[in-house]
Amino acid sequence: MRIFADLWWFFKQERLKYFFGIIFLMLSSFLSMIPPYVVGIIVDDIRTRNLTPMILGKWILFLIIIGIIYYFTGYIWRQLIFGSSIILANQLRNDLYRHFTKFSPNFFQKRRIGDLMAHATNDINAVQGAAGEGILTLFDSLTLGGMVIVTMSAFISWKLTLITLLPMPIMVVLTMHYGNLLHKRFGKAQAAFSDLNDKVQENVSGVRVIKAFGEEEAQINMFRKASRDVVDKNIAVAKVDSLFDPTITFIVAFCYFLALIFGSIYVVQGSMTIGGLTSFTLYLGQLIWPMLAFGFLFNIVERGSASYDRIRRLFAIKPEITDVDGASSEVPSGAIDYAIRNFRYPESESNALSDIRININQGQTLGIVGKTGAGKTTMLRLLLREFDIKDGQISIGGKEIRSVTLDALRSAIGYVPQDHILFSATIAENIAFAKPEATREEIERVARLASIHEDILHFKEGYETVVGERGVTLSGGQKQRISIARALLADSEILIFDDSLSAVDARTEASILHALKHERKNKTTLISAHRLSAVEHADQIVVLDEGRIVERGMHQELIEKEGWYAEMYAHQQLESLVSEGGGKA
Amino acid sequence: MNEEQNPTQLSGGRVMKRLLSYLNYFKKKVAIAFIVLLIATGADVLGPIIMKIFIDDYLTPRVFPVQPLVLLAVTFIGLYAISALFNYYQVISFQKIALNIIQIMRVEVFSKVQHLGLRFFDQTPGGSLVSRITNDTETIKDLYVTVLSTIVNSAIMMIGIFAGMFFLDARLALICFILMPFLFILMWVYRALSSKVYRVTRVKLSQLNAKLSESLQGMSMIQAMRQEKRLRQEFGKINSDHKKALLKSVRLNSLMLRSAVYSVYLIGLMMILSFFGIQSFDNVVKIGVLYAFINYLDRFFDPINQIMQQLTIFQQAMVSAERVFGLLDDDRMAPVKQGESNSEVKDGRIEFRDVTFSYDGKTDVLKHISFTANPGETVALVGHTGSGKSSIINLLMRFYSIEHGEIFIDGEPLTSFSDDELRKRVGLVLQDSFMFVGDVTDNIRLSHEHLTDQEVREAAQFVQADHFIEKLPNHYHEPVGERGATFSSGQRQLLSFARTIAQNPKILVLDEATASVDTETEEAIQTALSKMRKGRTTIAIAHRLSTIQDADQILVLHRGEIVERGTHQELLQKGGLYFNMYQLQHGKGAGEVSSAQ
Repeated sequence: MRIFADLWWFFKQERLKYFFGIIFLMLSSFLSMIPPYVVGIIVDDIRTRNLTPMILGKWILFLIIIGIIYYFTGYIWRQLIFGSSIILANQLRNDLYRHFTKFSPNFFQKRRIGDLMAHATNDINAVQGAAGEGILTLFDSLTLGGMVIVTMSAFISWKLTLITLLPMPIMVVLTMHYGNLLHKRFGKAQAAFSDLNDKVQENVSGVRVIKAFGEEEAQINMFRKASRDVVDKNIAVAKVDSLFDPTITFIVAFCYFLALIFGSIYVVQGSMTIGGLTSFTLYLGQLIWPMLAFGFLFNIVERGSASYDRIRRLFAIKPEITDVDGASSEVPSGAIDYAIRNFRYPESESNALSDIRININQGQTLGIVGKTGAGKTTMLRLLLREFDIKDGQISIGGKEIRSVTLDALRSAIGYVPQDHILFSATIAENIAFAKPEATREEIERVARLASIHEDILHFKEGYETVVGERGVTLSGGQKQRISIARALLADSEILIFDDSLSAVDARTEASILHALKHERKNKTTLISAHRLSAVEHADQIVVLDEGRIVERGMHQELIEKEGWYAEMYAHQQLESLVSEGGGKA
Repeated sequence: MNEEQNPTQLSGGRVMKRLLSYLNYFKKKVAIAFIVLLIATGADVLGPIIMKIFIDDYLTPRVFPVQPLVLLAVTFIGLYAISALFNYYQVISFQKIALNIIQIMRVEVFSKVQHLGLRFFDQTPGGSLVSRITNDTETIKDLYVTVLSTIVNSAIMMIGIFAGMFFLDARLALICFILMPFLFILMWVYRALSSKVYRVTRVKLSQLNAKLSESLQGMSMIQAMRQEKRLRQEFGKINSDHKKALLKSVRLNSLMLRSAVYSVYLIGLMMILSFFGIQSFDNVVKIGVLYAFINYLDRFFDPINQIMQQLTIFQQAMVSAERVFGLLDDDRMAPVKQGESNSEVKDGRIEFRDVTFSYDGKTDVLKHISFTANPGETVALVGHTGSGKSSIINLLMRFYSIEHGEIFIDGEPLTSFSDDELRKRVGLVLQDSFMFVGDVTDNIRLSHEHLTDQEVREAAQFVQADHFIEKLPNHYHEPVGERGATFSSGQRQLLSFARTIAQNPKILVLDEATASVDTETEEAIQTALSKMRKGRTTIAIAHRLSTIQDADQILVLHRGEIVERGTHQELLQKGGLYFNMYQLQHGKGAGEVSSAQ
């Protein structure tokens, strides 16, 4: 029941809706008491032959009125209570989304996206259930149940009520027990199903390997087993699920049986009428639902509580990177200065970077090269303040990056990441991501700079082509160039290319680099790359190895040094020639 | 791309018919479950009649002979015990049948997909395919469970109740029958309205999920571009649309579900009361009959509520079924052996004879390709992206069927080899080394159970993978996670070499990886590659110098045509493209090449 205390803030916020919702719910319960009572009266009148058309007509009219009022009260409380629970879900989801936008990228790398999604869907649904069905079952079982029992005892016979209700607690206990069992088994069935999903996913992504090795039959057998497992676990669920109805029917029948046996005794004794007995059995029928609801209530509340706890835990996590107190919101500008003695990732034991001291004047281009894992991306991520440096600092125009707000820092920097993230929207919208108000001319201009304009025109719908899961599939090179155009449109003073030219061919790369040089006078560019041609024309190049700068200088100087850079350069020149079929156009 | 490729859209009726045809697998079980259901319902329906007998024959006249009463009581409890037991049995049976049907259907769909050609996979997004096989069949499962358990059950129950009513009083039963049209209209209207609302809700939900998942994946980008506020607004908009759709469905449900059914119940109650009331003006009325009728009426509406709640599932399932059947009827099958002869790969001589090929039937990606690779030779394919290198490999692997020209292995047409023979003798190494969840040994052995641990080890040793495997904490039983993410790309490549070598193929098809790997692994890869090629006919998309220089033949491809061919030396002497290429690099990075020669 703690969930109701936890959600108190929301009940308070929507207090009018809940107040009237519960009032109308109780009114509904009260109204549903009336028809059985009327039946009892009429039965007795029939039996005693006192029924006249007048009386009958009066009661029928009464029932019609009750029916109409009941219909409207039912409509009102459903609207109010279920409607509020939907508002709660909506509100929580918005809050959660807002919370997500505050986390640094590190958070999203540590957490599985599916897991975070589950918070916003399953968990919120469970909480919604507690605020809707939970409230309904709570009040229904208490008020309707209470009213029925009170009516039965007060108007008919408290002794008979007591006797008849004896088996009911057994039903409540049993159904609650089934509910728990069902929950557990259902969890297992879900797990088996998601396992099956993973297997199919793997199969579909590995289709070439599977075909090349003739693994089809083996895969079918594996699938058959996994699917059989799902079936077995579901049958286990069904075995519990199927217990509900028969148990309820039998126990209720037993209640009827008791009512009839003992009721008859009272009728014979004269302490009860046959009409009373008829009403009594009808009331008995009305007790089934509140009893069941009481059982459901525990399950709903338990699930809602667990989910709400999970959501709260997520809300309790503080974003790692935040604005420092008194941070200036002035957009930093000027030379970039790296002065990092040591940097290591939070969960790592070894330094990712050591002794990185670089000064990049405004308008210069820095090239960063080195093997995979040498620390190129780390350098760039630190400038974006995805992590805070403990031992050392980075400054822009003499200002430490922590002394300005994240927002100011980010507006100074345009970023083309290693893996190109595009959103399900049109190409134009994707390019204008940082500047939604951009005109078509602006968009086309940066698309030309990024050498993607021609490609876009080739699509049937041009700039209005939708990309992403539901749209056309773009090649890696096209995605990269769109993501370059997107960064260019932001027109920031600093531009970061994190190996963002890897999927375009040499000629396109050259033309993009040329355009950059031309367009971005007085603006600073940082390029990390595997292919050295991307940094050839940089004002300074650093070669990283295991987080340290091992070579630095301009292209020609590095070639003359005959170190790693020179060797790599020769190697790559050759490879690119070969793979391009000898340069024939 | 739209997934509904299937031109023959199945109509609702035919979908239903085809769905029901799966019941044929379990004819006997269905029949037994149905009989049990009838008995259980019968027992259920008899209850009120017993009560009626008790009220009219004993309670009203106030006669209480012990023996008949005990008998009556025992019968009453007995009937409900039977009803409970039999009902339990029939519900479980129907559920089992439904689940087993889904097992059959799932395996059928999955097997079908296994035998579809790559052409199909090229045109179908992976995500939607996975959801066809798992989620859509899951929805169909709900349909079977609902139809078999709820709807059949409820319908039989309603019929049973009517039978009971007719037994008690045919006239009144007929009058109660008037309620049926009301109920059907209610159901029909609800179905029509709810299907729309339900569809909108689902669409909104999937938009909500898509937006959320996309935002979570691209959060770094959203932040770097300072678009948090805008995205929050966009999400808020979708979230609020979703809310509105949900509110609409709550409104519809409050108007049409329980409350409305309760109103019909009240109408029924009034009819029964009036009937007996009017009768009582002139005649004596049997209270027991009245009692039983009211009791029946009480139970009559539970099945109605149940059915109405299941209607939405029903509609969703029909859509899913249509999609699943569409997939089952897809005809983009993988090419298979044609004709009766069983060719065998002996020496591994490969010949392409005037092969022209197109993926879409419009643009030819290969034009008049002819070449021969003699047993043990290496043919290197060079050319830029889109020049047709991968297509040659795809055709040799028989991933696609060829319309023009022919491919021969050892003089026999490619189409005359069985899948088994071809997959065993032709080993493919792909650029993207796909890893399966399992352990290292599983990934090398795959499903070839006859390979001993020793053979797996030997294969790994042969391709120089042994070295790094031995360094792993669990060696050959080191677990491999999703897509082998814990291994470096170089390590994955070595593992995929081992996988191919373990099969000891006669022909090797290589799509060399361009990805840069660390020097140590790169060396291992080079050594492994040259060892693997020894004694095997090799067709390689070459990026690595060693492969190209040693090749017996180099094919330079350009826009689907072979523009130059010969050995490294011959091509140099020809003074053509390849020579130019060589000249170009001579000034700068020639060190390696000249030393390699």
